[in-house]
Amino acid sequence: MRILTVVYTLIALALLLSFPEPASAHLVSTRFGELYSGLIHPLTALQHLVPWLGLGLLGGLLGNRTSRWVLLTFPLSAGAGALLAGGLPATAAIDHVNLFSFIVLGLLVALSVRLNRPTFLGLTVIFGLSHGFANGTPDLSGVPLLLYAVGVLLAAYVLIAIATAVTQLVSQRAAWGTIAIRAAGSWIVAIGLVFGGYSLTAGV
Amino acid sequence: MKKTLKNDLRPLLAVLLLFYAAAAFAHAETGVAGGLVSGLLHPVLGFDHLVAMVAVGLWGAQLGKPAIWVLPITFPVVMAIGALAGVAGLPLPFVEFGIAGSALVLGVMVALCLRPPFWAAAAMVGLFALFHGHAHGAEVPSAVNPLAYGVGFVTATGLLHLAGILIGVLLRWPAGDKVVRACGVAVAAVGLLALTLTFVPA
Repeated sequence: MRILTVVYTLIALALLLSFPEPASAHLVSTRFGELYSGLIHPLTALQHLVPWLGLGLLGGLLGNRTSRWVLLTFPLSAGAGALLAGGLPATAAIDHVNLFSFIVLGLLVALSVRLNRPTFLGLTVIFGLSHGFANGTPDLSGVPLLLYAVGVLLAAYVLIAIATAVTQLVSQRAAWGTIAIRAAGSWIVAIGLVFGGYSLTAGV
Repeated sequence: MKKTLKNDLRPLLAVLLLFYAAAAFAHAETGVAGGLVSGLLHPVLGFDHLVAMVAVGLWGAQLGKPAIWVLPITFPVVMAIGALAGVAGLPLPFVEFGIAGSALVLGVMVALCLRPPFWAAAAMVGLFALFHGHAHGAEVPSAVNPLAYGVGFVTATGLLHLAGILIGVLLRWPAGDKVVRACGVAVAAVGLLALTLTFVPA
């Protein structure tokens, strides 16, 4: 009797497994789906990725004690910005601040400006909020928005952590390291100038 | 149907193609890959662009400090200012002439290992950066993704400088100095050819 029960259970299980749910009912598009959306969005959009890298480079150049704080301030403000975007109307001013972030962060890296900690952390909060806001979407409300914002926060944390760590490693261990990081900063300024000029003239 | 490996592979290929679905990111930014590739290729496919950028790195290596580190940091920014003029559609006279001429002049500088005062070298390279930037910038409005295109051409230009600087490491050896100067001769030759072609009616 027990053996038959086991056999029937196995047959039922095999039948169930042979009728898999369609992929649309997948974890990615339900439940935690918005977490992944929030995670992927800033990492696949160059208008966020490039200045965020710039921020990581700047944090790395400013040393351990300062870059430790950016791991807290930037992701939290980016997450908060994404949450705010759920309740507030979109505005072009945010895009202008984000364009400005290319130039400011790139220049600070290229010139290797030794910002004091409060100023640097203030910048991380301002740009965190503006980039988080631009990542946010008013289409989501309630739990999905919170999940989405947590995704943005995690993306910000991962990217900034890697960028600051690599910058510190390169700038401290290699003789050419700081020059390479500063050159990367000037690339960010150049990209910002070209994209900013295009956005303003084309009215994007 | 004849049993061959090719025929056997066809169904497998068909199944594999089914798996190769386009990424379904419901994302605002499109054409990133296309824009990036066209941006990366733009400075590389114009041969006079390519050799001139490598020559900038070579000359920087010959000039040593401070040119070797001022150059890779300032060039992209000056180039971007030229690109802005291109984006805005402002005409810059003799762009092609300027680009080909830059390859010729920089090639001669490297070949003869000329060392003008730093400010003069910087001004010369800065002027050339404007021409190169204008040519890249003029393509931005028609790019499939202007930001990705911008990232591409700035990165490619920076990497070409790096290539020149890395070849310049050979300067540590006496024979390497000759190799670098020979590279300068090659760059000047390409520049001269490109310059001649600008006078040939299309």
